Order: sequence, then C-alpha cells, then structure tokens
Amino acid sequence: MEQEVERYRKPTRILHWVHAGAFTVLFLTGLVLFIPQLGFLAQDSWTRLIHRIAAAIFIIAPLIYIPLNWKSSWKGIKEAFNWGKDDFGWLMAAPGYYFLANEEAMPPQDHMNTGQKMWWLMVIVFGFVFVITGIIMWAFKTVAPPALLQWMVLIHDVAFIVTGVMFFVHIYLSVIHPLMRPLRTGAWSSMARGKVSAHYARSHHAKWYERITKGGEIK
Amino acid sequence: MAEKAILYDATKCTACRGCQAACKQWNENDEYIPTPSDREGVQAENWGSYENPPDLSPQTWLKMRFTEVDKNGKVRWLFTRQACMHCTDAACVNVCPNGTLYHHELGFVAYNKDTCTGCGYCIDACPFQIPRSTRNLLTGIAKADKCTFCTTAGLDRISAGWEPACVKTCPPKALQYGDRETMITEGMKRVQTLRAKGYNNAYLYGEKELGGLHVIYALEDDPQVYGLPVNPQVPATAIAWKKVIQPIGWVLGALTIVGLGLNFLIARKAKMSRELPAKKEK
Repeated sequence: MEQEVERYRKPTRILHWVHAGAFTVLFLTGLVLFIPQLGFLAQDSWTRLIHRIAAAIFIIAPLIYIPLNWKSSWKGIKEAFNWGKDDFGWLMAAPGYYFLANEEAMPPQDHMNTGQKMWWLMVIVFGFVFVITGIIMWAFKTVAPPALLQWMVLIHDVAFIVTGVMFFVHIYLSVIHPLMRPLRTGAWSSMARGKVSAHYARSHHAKWYERITKGGEIK
Repeated sequence: MAEKAILYDATKCTACRGCQAACKQWNENDEYIPTPSDREGVQAENWGSYENPPDLSPQTWLKMRFTEVDKNGKVRWLFTRQACMHCTDAACVNVCPNGTLYHHELGFVAYNKDTCTGCGYCIDACPFQIPRSTRNLLTGIAKADKCTFCTTAGLDRISAGWEPACVKTCPPKALQYGDRETMITEGMKRVQTLRAKGYNNAYLYGEKELGGLHVIYALEDDPQVYGLPVNPQVPATAIAWKKVIQPIGWVLGALTIVGLGLNFLIARKAKMSRELPAKKEK
C-alpha cells in the first residue's frame, strides 16, 4: 500500500462540495437570463427562487465553516495572498506543462500551486462581489435608485463571466486534463478523499511535502 | 406595414380621466380596488388633486397627471398622460432577458405577461418610469406590467382593426390613433396653430425622442413644464451590459470550451509520447 498524506480535512472538503453545488445551481439559474434562447426557462420567476435558495447556502456555508475552523480559515486566507518568485516561475512553465507535459521546468510548489492559488483568490474576491451586489438586488430592489441597481446587474454579470469561465477551467484542470489522470492520485483524490499519494505530494507540492515531513519520511 | 401611433393633444384634454377608466375596463384591471394593506396597489387618496390613484401600478397602466404651474401669479393647470410612450429605442426591450417585451410589427412595445421573469430590469431602465411590478421581496417572485397598446392576447383591439380603448373613449378627441406619419403631420399642424396663438414654446414631443415615440404629445409649453424628461436616453449601463458585456461573455465562454478541448488533444498526445519510450525501456 502506497503511503498517503492528508491534504484537505473533512470540514474543508464538505465546504468545498457544498459551495461547489451551490455555485453550480447559481451558475445555471443565472445562465438562463444570460442566453436569450434559454430565457423561457426563467419565466414566472422560478429560477429566481432557486437562485435565492442556492445563494443562501452559498452565503451561510462559509459563515458556519469559519467560526468552527478558525485556524484552517486563517491559514487558507493567508495562503491566497502569499505570492513569491516560484509563482512567477510556475506561470512561465505552465504552458509547457499543460500543453507538452513538460514537468522539468516547474518550480517547486507549496500546499497550493500558483494556478490553484489564483482560483482560490478569485473565489474569495468574486465571492464578496457576488454577495454584495446580489444582496443589494435582493433586498433593496424596490428602494434603491434604479441607476445603482443597473450597476449591480452589470457588476454581477462581469463577475459571472469571469468566474464562470474559470469554473470550467477549474473543473478541467482538476479532473479532465490528461495529466490529472488517473484520478485516484491527485487533485480529485485530495477533494474526494482528502488524501493524496506521497509520491504525488512530493512531485507536485515539493515545498509543502518538505515542510510536513520535516525533510524526512512521513512519520 | 406602416407604423401606428397615438397622438395626445394636451391642449384639448379636459382631464376627465375617461381614458384611465376605459384602460382599466378593457384590460380587465378594473376589478382591482386597492387597500392600504395591499402593497401591490397604489391607494387612491384625497391629497388635494384630481390625480388619482397617485401613481401607476401593475393594475393602473394609464394615469392622467395634473401639473399646477405658477405663471406671473396666474395658475396654469396642465394635463398630461402618464403611460408607456412606446419608444423605438426602447430601453425596456433592450434589457428584457427573454423577449417578453418586444416591438410589435406596428412599431410599439408589446408585452407578453406569460413569459415575464420578473427580473425588473425594465423598471430600472425605463426613462419614463412606466413599468411596474408585483413583487415578493423574499422569494423574488414578480411580474411586470405596463400598457400593451391594447394588444394583450385575447384583448387585442389593434389586430381587430380598432383603436386603443383610451382613444375610443376620449370625448374631446384629445387622443387620436392612426399611421404614425399622419399623427406627426397632425401634431405639427396643431403645434403651428398653438405657436400662431402665442404659445411660443409649443412642442411636439415624441417626434424624434428615443428614435421616435409611438405616443406623441402636442404640448403648449416645454416638456419639462409637464414633468416630461427633455431628451430622454436609454441608460448607458443598459447598453454596455446588453450590447458589450454579454456578447463578450458568450465569446469568452465559447473560446474557453474550444481552448480546453484543444488543450486536451494536444496534452494527451504529449503525455502519450512521453510515456511510450518509458514503457519501452522496461
């Protein structure tokens, strides 16, 4: 049996999947107002009701997670803002890696690689953008100045385009890209079971692996 | 087909509000008696004006507006019609996500209530603040409503060859209905007459505004005196969002999917060519 290391604790994984589910519902119920040919699905406001239920889950899930998991939350937020020269190196080497499977040029990565950090930072930033603009459109629809509501729609839309596109990229790079297969070793495994093989950790997250094993083998 | 329009002559209007009643009656909005506890309605009240109910609502598509203007110590009592202006460059049609608001083949802005999603974008975008909606703030379940130019399915006077209900009922013939060209000619004639009589600011509102309105007002003074917006515009945010940002979104979304597909094919080939020699060495 190959040795494994823990990558995401269970509460973190639950938060990930609850949020991912809520986002998927929000994405689809938002898409019906974005593509005119799908607009008929939105009639009689039912997609708005579903959108709001999903939005409530989207907001409440992290609000439950954070106070119960102060340390991981704080560590995670610091991680999103911790950028260094290896991130630059990663960006330079990423096309060679993702297109030509050229692993040699990839600089050693910490717990999250640069791509994961970019997505994670977007989740935080655009999460706030979505929630703030969404709450204004939800609660202040009848009292806010029309111009403000129009700006909220516009900003919500821009956030939708950016995160929607990156949502595809996220799914693709986690489970579809040829280098992510077989699924049982890498990204999928880390979010599904919380564990990755020691070999995967060493080759993909060398700095992190070094840190958790104190330079030696796993305890 | 030649575009149709309503011509409203504010100088002939007696503000009898017959049009207001006829509109409610024909469009079956007449059963509605607003009560103070009913948030969807606008309560009629004694507030020192004949203008009642005080505002439009999902059940009040047409309302006469009474304006009192003090001119050299003399009161001028001005009347206007407050209802959909049926713009050519219609902000509401522009922002409507699924074609619920659309241009009728005769030029005006028709509305299909069945398909309305209740997003309320038309309410925010309209330069005349005309559309109104019922709305549950918690669930977001909502339906907009506005003047349909008497083209509501089942109550379609226009396709039957009749004039709209408001025009039909107008006793002093302050409302006329016909080809838009004819209405403009008639309106211009009226404005010339008014100017000849000393109303120097007499103006035909709707000839050019927003690409041409399908409800045209002959006014004896500047539009702003009547509370009408001078040079109304489709809001820039509405144009930016529908005409620029959404198409960018479609293109980006499509490019991403195609790009990821291409990446998949290239990377799979690269991965296989790297694995093959490794396998042979074994």
